[in-house]
Amino acid sequence: MEDDLPSKYEVIVIGTGMTESIVAAAASRIGKRVLHLDRNDYYGGMWASFTFEALQKWLDECRNGKTSDSLKSSSPLVQDGEKSVNIGNQFSTVFNIEEKWFIPEKLPSIGNLQSAKNTQTEDSPKEIKDGQTESEEILKQNDKLWCQAKIKTLGRKFNLDLAPKLLFSRGTLVELLISSNISRYAEFRCVNRILTWQSDKLETVPCSRADVFATKNVGLIEKRQLMQLLTLCVEYKPEGDEFKGFEDKTLKEYLESKNLTENLMHYVLYAIAMSNDTTPCMVGVERTQRFLSSLGRYGNTPFLWPMYGTGELPQCFCRLCAVFGGVYHLKRAADSVIVADTECKAILSDGSRLDCDHLVLGVADAPPEFLGSVPKAGLSRGIFILDRSISISDKESLTLLQFPIKGKEPITIIEAGPSTHVCPPGLYLLHMTTKQIENAVQDLKPAVEALLHTEYADGITSRIDTDTQSTQTTKEGDSVASKGDSNTQYGLLKPQILYALYFNCPETSGYDLSQNVPSNVHLCSGPDLEVDYEFAVKQAKSIFSKMYPDSEFLPRAPDPEELSLEVDEAAGPPFQSSEEPKEE
Amino acid sequence: MDPSVLTTLKILLIGQSGVGKSCLLCRFTDDTFNIDNAVTIGVDFKMKKITVDNNNIKLALWDTAGQERFRTLTPNYYRDGQGAILVYDVSNRESFTCLETWISELKTYSTKTDIIKMVVGNKIDQERQVTRDEGIAFARRHQTLFIETSAKTKEGVYMAFEELVRKILNTPSLWEKVEDANVVRCNDGNSSISEQKYCYC
Repeated sequence: MEDDLPSKYEVIVIGTGMTESIVAAAASRIGKRVLHLDRNDYYGGMWASFTFEALQKWLDECRNGKTSDSLKSSSPLVQDGEKSVNIGNQFSTVFNIEEKWFIPEKLPSIGNLQSAKNTQTEDSPKEIKDGQTESEEILKQNDKLWCQAKIKTLGRKFNLDLAPKLLFSRGTLVELLISSNISRYAEFRCVNRILTWQSDKLETVPCSRADVFATKNVGLIEKRQLMQLLTLCVEYKPEGDEFKGFEDKTLKEYLESKNLTENLMHYVLYAIAMSNDTTPCMVGVERTQRFLSSLGRYGNTPFLWPMYGTGELPQCFCRLCAVFGGVYHLKRAADSVIVADTECKAILSDGSRLDCDHLVLGVADAPPEFLGSVPKAGLSRGIFILDRSISISDKESLTLLQFPIKGKEPITIIEAGPSTHVCPPGLYLLHMTTKQIENAVQDLKPAVEALLHTEYADGITSRIDTDTQSTQTTKEGDSVASKGDSNTQYGLLKPQILYALYFNCPETSGYDLSQNVPSNVHLCSGPDLEVDYEFAVKQAKSIFSKMYPDSEFLPRAPDPEELSLEVDEAAGPPFQSSEEPKEE
Repeated sequence: MDPSVLTTLKILLIGQSGVGKSCLLCRFTDDTFNIDNAVTIGVDFKMKKITVDNNNIKLALWDTAGQERFRTLTPNYYRDGQGAILVYDVSNRESFTCLETWISELKTYSTKTDIIKMVVGNKIDQERQVTRDEGIAFARRHQTLFIETSAKTKEGVYMAFEELVRKILNTPSLWEKVEDANVVRCNDGNSSISEQKYCYC
């Protein structure tokens, strides 16, 4: 192995998840020598985004277990008084993987399709024309039909997130990206639609002032009520009287005391406060405030979504870490941690001893004995490739939907389209996340059944023209598909699932990860249940301040544009003039 | 934005450690040459204005920040690059051989299918291990531009960047895009003007 890797560092970070990457960047930024390793050949760990092919590879690894041939660490590298703790990973396990295609492997050949078409259309004027036009026509129609082979061919156009999340426009991550100047590595789109599920149908939640005025879903009196309520929440201060007496009650009880209509209750409780029936009142008010304060900074909803998917974000921090001298090595695992007394001294990796003052570890890479006997909790995840949006509108939408489940955590649904570079044109990507109760398939079932068409699509009939939203079908027998569909009357059909993936993964945000670790080892949780990055940023900040209490957390990185361009314009490099094209 | 500037292009520098990517960059942008900056630290990207065929172009030239050392560039680095400069060292055969893997990595992560590639053989002031003909043959096989340079003596440096930019300008699909107003870049300056429309204060 090419090993000119230096052997002494101030900070070694193992795992390139979100929290680990933020810590790595922060340490490197203040001049610490940082080594950042990941045993995978990709960035992000459980926060990664994959092309379709990479996702398949990841699934294979999850199913078969990674080839972690943890060779017993050779003793010469472990000195007297030191103990070598093997790295194992009880938390890297992804389980209950269920993968399903809803489309055929290949589309019928053009010949077959032609005959199928001829039987259904009695007199197509195209038939008289030359065969060229005919087959072109069919090919064009073929564009709207999907098969597995086609998805795989376009596989590189997918960015499938393991941990889909949104950023509050005024949340800690956006503020951090701006203040640290890491924002230059990322681009975003605004979530432009917040939907809710009420009385068995999808509705758009009016969340901004402008939306409330414009919406047709609520009456005039309701509008007034909603504005008043939201203004109250925005202006809430702890010393005020408005919420007196509700400190021990739920948000729902407070809203009920306001005599809101059922409609408004639903909007506020589930969509704007992002709460459920049992959320304490003050927590709900705080969430409402957070929601409302992020409105209007970049768009009409509080949320941003990263272009190319959420897997970009850890990479942005890794880039900054590298710019300030951090050393990166992927496909490089740590085998064990060397501990003496109550301190970590070094790690062993690929037969080398790498010394460090601090060790930052993702939970997936932590030795079991560092984790103690933490109780298990998990996330239920679903990734769906769809042939259209769950709610078609005249332009492509980026959607958040908190799907309420009675008595449980809601299912968080994010839908993104091709303009965010997460899927090829003509398709949509739908992510579902909720707290694990049973397994992903069971936990997500209510939302899947309500929103998606789960029958197998034979690849010959296209149910509906995506572009025109017409309810015409290409084959009469296809009415089967729309028979049980209550949405047909709106001219909308549920999206067809082309591909579905379910899995469960651990959720460790609730645990105190500092209990069983040496004082200079810092563990980072994996993705948490919340829709935003507040938890990861907070954890990274707290780890950093434990390591370097007197240093600034990610001060602004200088802007190269400010530095070099000004100089250029003033003088212009001398050698340039000789070769520069003549001025007119 | 400066109205005299036609467009801003993102150019990527790629290639094995030590082939002189940062030196090429410094020579081009600042006309300096520092043999001592062993490993790239602190260089993120550099901005440079260039005039090609009477068009003012702003270049954002991205350096690898040393992440190429263990072949660990982030896919994020390649996003939206319109041109890529693949550098090897003519006095180091291995750096030439491994261009194949850099080409394929570029193909994997590049988000623009028609990205313009240029192969640059650097350090022609030193004793050769790779002939000019080998370089040309490689470039032809991969349909890239080709030039040999010396960051130390300046030879070819400016021409390399100029050629690349010219070729990009001749491929309008790479840069003549309709500005997508819905793409958000977070920075202090661009909070929405119509904020009152949305918020409740």
